[in-house]
Amino acid sequence: MIGIESLATRSFRVITALVLVTWLVLPMIPLAIWSFARGWYFPNLLPTQWSLAAWEYALSDTAGILDSLLLSIGISFAAMMLAILIGVPAGRALGLYKFRGKEYIELLILAPTIVPGIAVVLGVHSVFIWLGLTNTVPGVILVHLIPTLPYMTLVMAGIFSNYDPSFEEQARSLGASGIKTFWYVTLPAILPGIIVGGMFAFLVSWSQYILTLVIGGGRVITLPLLLFNFATSGRNDITGAIAMIYILPGILILLFTARHLTGRSGIGGIGQI
Amino acid sequence: MSDRLKIFLLLAPVLTILIVMFLGGLAIGLLRSFNYMPIIGLTKPNIDAYVSIFTSKEFYVSFGLSLYIAVTSTVISSILAIGSALLLRRNFIGRSITQFLFQLNLTVPHLVGAIGILYLFSQSGSFARLAAEWEMISKPSEFPAMVFDPYAIGIILQYVWKEVPFIGVIVLANMQSLGENFEGVARSLGASRWQAFRFVLLPLIFPGVLSASVISFAFTFGAFEIPAILGANYPAALPVLAYRKYTDVDLAARPEAMAMAVMIALLSSVMIFFYVRYSRRRIRN
Amino acid sequence: MTHVSIKELTKVYPGSLEPSLDRLSLEIESGELTALLGPSGCGKTTTMKMIAGLLSTTSGDVQFDGRSILNDKPEQRGVVMVFQNYLLFPYMSVADNIGFGLKMRKVGKSEIDRRVKEILELVKLPDLGDRRPKELSGGQQQRVALARALIVSPNVLLLDEPLSNLDAHLRLEMRDLIRGIQQDLGITTIFVTHDQEEAVVLADKVALILDCKLKQYDTPEAFYRRPIDEATARFFGGQNFVPGMSKSGYFECALGRLKLPSDALLGSATLTFRPENVKIGANSVGENVVQSKLIDKIYLGTQTRLKFIVGDTKIDVMANPSDVQELVVGDACPITLSADSLWVLAK
Repeated sequence: MIGIESLATRSFRVITALVLVTWLVLPMIPLAIWSFARGWYFPNLLPTQWSLAAWEYALSDTAGILDSLLLSIGISFAAMMLAILIGVPAGRALGLYKFRGKEYIELLILAPTIVPGIAVVLGVHSVFIWLGLTNTVPGVILVHLIPTLPYMTLVMAGIFSNYDPSFEEQARSLGASGIKTFWYVTLPAILPGIIVGGMFAFLVSWSQYILTLVIGGGRVITLPLLLFNFATSGRNDITGAIAMIYILPGILILLFTARHLTGRSGIGGIGQI
Repeated sequence: MSDRLKIFLLLAPVLTILIVMFLGGLAIGLLRSFNYMPIIGLTKPNIDAYVSIFTSKEFYVSFGLSLYIAVTSTVISSILAIGSALLLRRNFIGRSITQFLFQLNLTVPHLVGAIGILYLFSQSGSFARLAAEWEMISKPSEFPAMVFDPYAIGIILQYVWKEVPFIGVIVLANMQSLGENFEGVARSLGASRWQAFRFVLLPLIFPGVLSASVISFAFTFGAFEIPAILGANYPAALPVLAYRKYTDVDLAARPEAMAMAVMIALLSSVMIFFYVRYSRRRIRN
Repeated sequence: MTHVSIKELTKVYPGSLEPSLDRLSLEIESGELTALLGPSGCGKTTTMKMIAGLLSTTSGDVQFDGRSILNDKPEQRGVVMVFQNYLLFPYMSVADNIGFGLKMRKVGKSEIDRRVKEILELVKLPDLGDRRPKELSGGQQQRVALARALIVSPNVLLLDEPLSNLDAHLRLEMRDLIRGIQQDLGITTIFVTHDQEEAVVLADKVALILDCKLKQYDTPEAFYRRPIDEATARFFGGQNFVPGMSKSGYFECALGRLKLPSDALLGSATLTFRPENVKIGANSVGENVVQSKLIDKIYLGTQTRLKFIVGDTKIDVMANPSDVQELVVGDACPITLSADSLWVLAK
């Protein structure tokens, strides 16, 4: 802070912050209220009757919402694991080595973070029809790799560019095998990156809509698809409950990784969601 | 193992996936937009789909709408994001909670934000009820249409809600790594507070703002679910129109959908060009 | 020409209990070149920023020619601070960087061009106006930063570690340039350094700050001859400290009974003398001669460093190599600590 600040400046700051905070939480408020409302009609500011009906419905075995939740968790978890398995080696190549054509490879990896899903997914759909992957869970997991892989790779490239591989040589010269070297030397050094990158790969997959809609063809109903359907069918109370369930992993992950979030890479990636 | 082989093996999986699915998806889309796909017996490429979309008013209106949404929400978001970052780099009561909400907002999927905006701004939404409470309106239809409206106000509000934290967090990180000494130099050389912002801080953060805006622009131009929830039936945003064409019962509309996807891809290539240009410049400096 | 008085200046950063600068008071004569000397993290840069108005003060006052400037905005103070890492604006040419202060004052374009040209001559970079900062060497960047400060004719110039980022040979050149320009223009200048040699060579007066407090504010010579305490003496390379009792005219300690200069402190105290002031061998009078044994000898090129022992007190000595050629480790040898080289420190 430069120089002396007047009381007016400081009060202005607190007031703007208050406006900002209000604006940030505002859209979540009606969703949360709706999930506990029964018959909340215009022009009532608050529901006349409170109820847990929407939550009971959402959490019941028959509604299929829990199935969707489990399916979504499974798909995002699988996409995350694949992204880690593929992204870590790629990040190592990009972070540690200089080679001819590197900028083109970086461009190819960056591009899916900018090109919207709709531009790609219609073509992918045609390919997946021949491969028999449309309307299947594996097809959806595969197509989720398009947005998640670049992110995981770029995070790991950042981690590896600050990593000194001579630690591995030191371990090898002390008698460690290749696998032991990876386990005791490489992995501990890159684990924070894998955790943060993996968490956000999970979130990127978690928030996919159009890719799942087109490739899943209405057969693979993840949570966002269900949420969309309820939102457009006017069941505001159930929509509210699903929305609350749907944002939960993001909040948990944020709380878990809050201390890792200061780095730029984390911030850039989280914006892809 | 030689370094070249090692690099190749490390990169092979990611390249395979991105080339097959990402580039492959784009390429198939391009071919099908020309109605060319030998495998399914379409051996004579033509430009009918492009003729059809370029001669229909619907395409221009949708393209224009998406462009308008992207430009408006990115410009508004960038300005507010710079303001928020200026705010958040200072110490004040409640900074940490503001910062936490900023980051929390980043984890909330767009779709949830869109439904939240819908429940706030629709004609029977929270603000309409508030207006009724204050006796400004007596029935929902008197409340100005802010969702499903031709000006896409709801869509823009949703994007601003999500993109301000996104751009803001990047700009804030940028400002924090610059520190305040550049502005300190400017002030001690005689610049006023405003001059130090205008002539020193703004040019320094500009490349960062621009590369974040480019990502935001491409997203707001090409996202599907937000205009699908908040947009009017007509005119529809370009991604919504493309999806409708693709799922049309008339299979002849599919090449048109592909042609629209190609147009979106072309526009995002321009964005990639800008992004690479400005992020490289940022790294160089 | 501005007289700067700093009065009880204190800074406690928010969230910290310890002050980062504790009641600093200095009177800096107009046109003087003053060094703020001290190890890193002792509040030197904090002081600079408070004078420049870039940091708020916790208490105390800063006055220029008797008028408090604490309520003036940074741009109104007539103080320019040159940062350690120069902070040239990367997106501007060298000429635009230098002309920045004039542009902020809304000086006309042609006038700016003329004065930028003039000042580039002064810092000996006449042809580099169109370059970008990143195309310049460290030394050149330092000159541009200096030119950018000088062009606005500041009343007070603040230089933060002006030489620390430069190579040894550039340092000498830059030192002469800064000294030369400062003398020519007569700008009251304060510079920060952690290097006592730099402070001694460049400054008219040195303010030594240790542990966020002013230790001693004096001419460079005084720090060698009359350090205020052991920490100050050590910071300036003092190594010999012998505890004992100072009585009128004499100092009684493990080295025996040594004659003192007349103005020495009395009571329980510490005796110090610089390694280069110890004479090898006895003098004709036999006064202040101590019998000792050589226990270590290291040849340093232009000097030889010797370590003697008297009882269990070790004494460091610097000598001319040719004077001590025959001495070998283990030799018994008298050394002379002449009265005018002794200085008594309060305990």
